[in-house]
Amino acid sequence: MITIKHLSHHFVMGKKGETKLPVLHDLSFSVNKGEVVSIIGRSGSGKSTLLNLISGFIHPTSGEITINGTDVTGFSEAEFADFRLNQIGFIFQNFQLIPSMTAYQNIELPLILKGINENERKKITEQTLERVGLSQYPNHYPGELSGGQQQRVSIARALVLNPPIILADEPTGSLDSETEASLLEFIRQLNQDLNITFLIITHDQEVARIGSRTLEIQDGHLIKGGNSR
Amino acid sequence: MNFKDKWRFVQQNLKKNRVRIFMTVLATAMGTTFLIVLASVGFGLHDTLLKDIMEQDNLNEVSIYGYENEKGEHQYITDQHIEHFESLNNVKTVRRMNYLGQAPNYQVDNFEATAETRSVYFPAEQQAGMALAEGTFPTQANQVVVGYHFADELIPQDVDYDDLYTDDEVRKEETLFSENIIGKTLTFDIEKFDENDDVETTTFEVEVVGIVEEPVQRGWDDSNVYITDMLLNEIAAFTGTHTGSPYPVDDIEDTPTEKSYDNVYLHTHTLEQVQDLTTQLTDEGYYTYSVATEMKQLNMLFTIAKAGLIFIGTIAILIASIGIYNTMTMAVTERAPDIGIMKAIGANPRTIKQIFLLESSYIGLLGALIGTAVAYLISFAVNLGLPLILEAVFEEELPEGFQFSSIPLRLLFVAVAICLIVTIISGSRPAKKATQIDVLQAMKREI
Repeated sequence: MITIKHLSHHFVMGKKGETKLPVLHDLSFSVNKGEVVSIIGRSGSGKSTLLNLISGFIHPTSGEITINGTDVTGFSEAEFADFRLNQIGFIFQNFQLIPSMTAYQNIELPLILKGINENERKKITEQTLERVGLSQYPNHYPGELSGGQQQRVSIARALVLNPPIILADEPTGSLDSETEASLLEFIRQLNQDLNITFLIITHDQEVARIGSRTLEIQDGHLIKGGNSR
Repeated sequence: MNFKDKWRFVQQNLKKNRVRIFMTVLATAMGTTFLIVLASVGFGLHDTLLKDIMEQDNLNEVSIYGYENEKGEHQYITDQHIEHFESLNNVKTVRRMNYLGQAPNYQVDNFEATAETRSVYFPAEQQAGMALAEGTFPTQANQVVVGYHFADELIPQDVDYDDLYTDDEVRKEETLFSENIIGKTLTFDIEKFDENDDVETTTFEVEVVGIVEEPVQRGWDDSNVYITDMLLNEIAAFTGTHTGSPYPVDDIEDTPTEKSYDNVYLHTHTLEQVQDLTTQLTDEGYYTYSVATEMKQLNMLFTIAKAGLIFIGTIAILIASIGIYNTMTMAVTERAPDIGIMKAIGANPRTIKQIFLLESSYIGLLGALIGTAVAYLISFAVNLGLPLILEAVFEEELPEGFQFSSIPLRLLFVAVAICLIVTIISGSRPAKKATQIDVLQAMKREI
């Protein structure tokens, strides 16, 4: 489902780009369809950079990224945007909901971007709201919802287009332990029911246990679960 | 993403900062109003002048007032030239006219009037459109037609000038010539002076056979007497001068030495032929004038003037566009996190650009429409109020039908198009900036 080959990345620093800061070193691993894979590492280890590279938010210095059989390494911004819309759902640590939109509108957004007609959108959005247990709160704005509820809206938005892959960056980072447990259970259930592939970035060993496999990154090197040197 | 959904986004965005949007729309509307009102003055004055020219019935006419020979000498128009004019393709008829070299005092019954006398070639006049209100055209030397207002000029011979009018400066009923002038005999004296300034007089008698139609131009009086060339020749035979002047030829500078015409008018079949004919005759050395040529020059002058006014007006819209640029830049900056989220979940940069362009176009279009409506109101008020103000302040009355400001449909299209183009251009940079927003920066994510 996701194949990473010899992926390296460095950030260019300084006004003239004279300083290079290496972040990832020759990472190679693959994630199979339907797998829940946790990527664990300390702050600054490069795990979020890895997720951003897979998401297409930044371009790798070298290496190859293949998602669902498509080599996305050389994709333009527009190509990657279309690819993300159709193939990848996102769950962010701080939810990343649009505050001026209601829960319903936030969930509906990917459907609008895809150009799905209004009637179909209504049906899908309501079904998704129901699935994440928020059918009582369609007209609530993010500010009017609890952290757990906001994260469910975020999950609903990630799910609404039925993507084969969901990338989650510290999905429980802003939640209390009780909500965290409930959310992890919900992710497990989604994986079982819909066979969605999850790639979860976390620094928390407890959260990482949700994965059927754990990869560990340290100082930009994959030290566990991959083919890193 | 379809247009309806993009429009929904724009509406949501507009609602977020109503005051700022209102001020931007206001600035755009003011710019548009300024452009339209400014240019409308050019259009209004042009329309008024054109209307004035079009009211004249000599649009198909080319006036010839002399000839410059190869040596650069001025010459009068003679029968030889007339023959040449009549042989030209585009010429329908050639009117020629001479003013009698003296203004005789015409007497009929006990009334008299001093009138300008013109010798004309009646067949050409008829072809050119001269019509009679009453009677027929002369066929003999002793027959004349008179202008529509000639009879009004006749006053009783035995009444003092002061007794002609009432206190209200209206002619007294009893001093008016109330009979039909047609069939009446006019008597007039022609004088001639010899070298010793001794005067010799002879009397002519002519019959009035027709009255010329009233002139179409407002306020024009026609109290002339139109005589035939034959009568002019008889008068000339007595005075010894071609024009019937009482003074010997040598006494007056620049008097023609052979039979010539004071005024010659060439009439074309169509209005389009006027320009070609004018150009041809000018090239041949004739001094020419035509209303159509003047109209062309006037049109060119006003086109340049209107373009200039539109250009100045565009500057106002350009200034307003700075406001749009500012508003859109602020909108992009404020919405950067939302744009980042949209891009992260798969919004195409093109879609984001289109949403912002739609927003700036909407501001431009709204401003243009409001500006147009206000411009119409101002134009209406100016046309209504300016004559009243000029009358009150300067005690000057504007001519009837005078239009100071006019907004034709094409000006409207030009103004709205300029406004839209300028606003789209000013909105395009912020829109491009929106597409270049870095997702990670916008979402403030830790890398």
